[in-house]
Amino acid sequence: MIWAQLTTALEWYGAFILLFFFAINTYYLVLTVTGFWRTLQVFKQVRRPDQRRLLRSPLTPPISVLAPAFNEEANVVDNVRSLLMLDYPLFEVILINDGSRDRTLGRLVDAFDLRRSARTFDRVMPCQTIRGVYESSTYSNLVVIDKDNGGKADALNAGLNLSLYPLFCAIDADSILESEALLRLVRPFVDAPGVTIAAGGVVRVANGCEIHGGRVHQVRLPRRPLPLIQVVEYLRAFLFGRMGWSTGNSLLVISGAFGLFDKRAAVLAGGYATDSVGEDMELVVRMHRYRRERRQPYRIGFVPDPICWTEVPVSFRVLRRQRTRWQRGLIDTLVRHRAMIGRPRYGSVGMVALPGFVIFEMLSPLVELSGYLLLPAMWVLGLLNPAGAWMFFVLAIMYMVLVSTLAVLLEDIAFRRYASVLDLGRLLVGAVLENFGFRQLTVWWRVRAFWEYLRGDLSWGEMERKGVGA
Amino acid sequence: MAPAVALEPLRNGVLALAAAVILLALFLLVERSAAALSSSRRSRREPILSRLLFQALQSSPVDARAFRRLGRFDRRLVRSILLGLALDLRGDSGDAIATLYRDLGFVKRDLAGLRSWRASRRANAAADLGLIHSAETVPGLLSALQDADVRVRQAAVWAIGQVGTPATLTGLVHLLGDRSLVVAHRVQEVLAERGREIADSILRYAETTSSRSGRLAAVELIGWLRITTGADLLLSGMRDLDPEVRVKSVKAAAAVGDPRFLEIFHSRLEDVRWEVRCQAAKGLSLFGAVASVPRLAAALRDHHWWVRFYAATALAEIGPAGEEALSSALHDPEPLVQEMARYLLERGDAVPALP
Repeated sequence: MIWAQLTTALEWYGAFILLFFFAINTYYLVLTVTGFWRTLQVFKQVRRPDQRRLLRSPLTPPISVLAPAFNEEANVVDNVRSLLMLDYPLFEVILINDGSRDRTLGRLVDAFDLRRSARTFDRVMPCQTIRGVYESSTYSNLVVIDKDNGGKADALNAGLNLSLYPLFCAIDADSILESEALLRLVRPFVDAPGVTIAAGGVVRVANGCEIHGGRVHQVRLPRRPLPLIQVVEYLRAFLFGRMGWSTGNSLLVISGAFGLFDKRAAVLAGGYATDSVGEDMELVVRMHRYRRERRQPYRIGFVPDPICWTEVPVSFRVLRRQRTRWQRGLIDTLVRHRAMIGRPRYGSVGMVALPGFVIFEMLSPLVELSGYLLLPAMWVLGLLNPAGAWMFFVLAIMYMVLVSTLAVLLEDIAFRRYASVLDLGRLLVGAVLENFGFRQLTVWWRVRAFWEYLRGDLSWGEMERKGVGA
Repeated sequence: MAPAVALEPLRNGVLALAAAVILLALFLLVERSAAALSSSRRSRREPILSRLLFQALQSSPVDARAFRRLGRFDRRLVRSILLGLALDLRGDSGDAIATLYRDLGFVKRDLAGLRSWRASRRANAAADLGLIHSAETVPGLLSALQDADVRVRQAAVWAIGQVGTPATLTGLVHLLGDRSLVVAHRVQEVLAERGREIADSILRYAETTSSRSGRLAAVELIGWLRITTGADLLLSGMRDLDPEVRVKSVKAAAAVGDPRFLEIFHSRLEDVRWEVRCQAAKGLSLFGAVASVPRLAAALRDHHWWVRFYAATALAEIGPAGEEALSSALHDPEPLVQEMARYLLERGDAVPALP
């Protein structure tokens, strides 16, 4: 009797997993297609003289670029130089040395002739002790803050305290921005002044690219399979996925590597949460919440063409740290803002985006892992024939390959960043390869993140950089 | 009853997905090959057509005969090259480009485009006509200002700014109060570049309009363009009950710098809005009047950083009397006052770029 009930339950669960696989891949497919459609819409609105107009317009708002750095001595000088060369009418670069243990500050002092400044600031956001503020005698728009280590969110809050301008762009110190990136990213703020409170930009993989002096000179794919797979993943999830979510003003994540915010709106919402490892997503969700609870009109956009290049992990060890941190950040944000989920008061964010994230982003690794365990178990118990298990596995993989291939195709139509046909072929190989080992590993790491989250682990883990521009 | 997972639908699903993946990969290949072909054709034709274009543009009058029998691909390429050149060239070269563009029928095509049923096509046509700087396009662009689509109106405003005479620019002034903020901003941008030619119209509009947003935009323009004849309007604006009007007026006044503003700047240092206080302090730095020192020294105690910063900057600009006030502020019991005074006295040439 019990055996019969158990087998029935297992069979039901097997069917649920089948449905879940279908649903999650359809979710990605819909996001990819919506994101592509939205990208084309945005491109239609951008005309040839727009960048020049923005460069000259007195209405183009000035921007404070905030770049937190922790042990970045390898690339920090090149990266700051590239930030200072951005095409934008009025901006300042605030580099926050978050208690680095290496020569990050020393290199900056030498390279930019930094002098200790008595610059004062309003303590709008709480942050760790600021040991010193440095200004450059050669670049009037460069400020370096030296502070006690407090994590990325704390460093950004310190930067917010010293920033002069109404918009701030949060980036990673090791990110490389294209020279027109700010001009492109500011468009939503210029087109809907007072309404746009944040805009995310596209982050792409710098590994393999030819980089000199903090500029990407030639876009190439990485040779090693691990970063190659991440290129496909970034295209699918971070380009078209986020573009898709932005369609209904439901974008929940603006990458910490590249996002532009209205300073006043961010400060009113409470700034960066220092007790979260997913501070980028948490701030965006909090900004949604703040505005929706007060019924204030707002828009959080995503711009498909500004490009920020970032180095992705090349070793499994670093990748594991990154993925568990992302997942812990996701869980933390969704738990903190659980009151928004399924509540019509929060509009599309509460009714669509947050439930979507709970089901397809947060819980999916649990379901997927249970699927991986269940199928062999059912096979062993004689509840599933080997052909059925095999067929199901192939079906799931084919659907994932389909979504990734579509993302590659749409990238080629909309951007064509990878010039050679060989690169396209390698991207397609990456789309297939990610399903054999990479996906399963990330699922396992994301499941482990639940355990780490329950233990209260708030560590970031160090991101070891090889230095893409080296 | 547990659901039975049938093999047949699974197998069909796998086959359908595999077919879809193969089709997508093939489509990708075809799409890339087509793009490569077009790009190679473009790179072959572009130098030839560019050479022809340069010859045609240098001849007087402009000779378009060489382009009469071009195919569709070449015509598109010629149009694109001309628009690219028009972005950078003005004067005689710009006129020659406009003539050739018209002679090849592109102006007519763009004017027809302004009547397209697709808003994006209408907006693109307006933007392209703006690049060409041809006066004959103005009537079409003026009618595009009435378009229902904001993108088209924005593009038309920009285009009129590129092409228009002072008379047509005057026609834009009333759009400073347009119901669409984006269109109004575009008008502001255009007038910020070319508004000096029609300063009187802007001033008149600011004085007479009933649109609050239009008035604010016009006051802002008076500051950007430093229209000195607007001093009276700014004086009354600085006393307005509407705080936004006060903010914009003080900001504009700080840019215009009429001597009559000195007293009102002093009184505005005590305004309830920090933006007004801050702009008043900024304005006082223009005058360098010793009489402002006690007021500015008091403003060093303001709770808002920007007000303290501009008050200290103004004191530093005033000269010895201001520097003396800053030096005594170093001994002030209030740390905020001390810090700001120290910053201004020590910073030397390291001046942050200010909005």
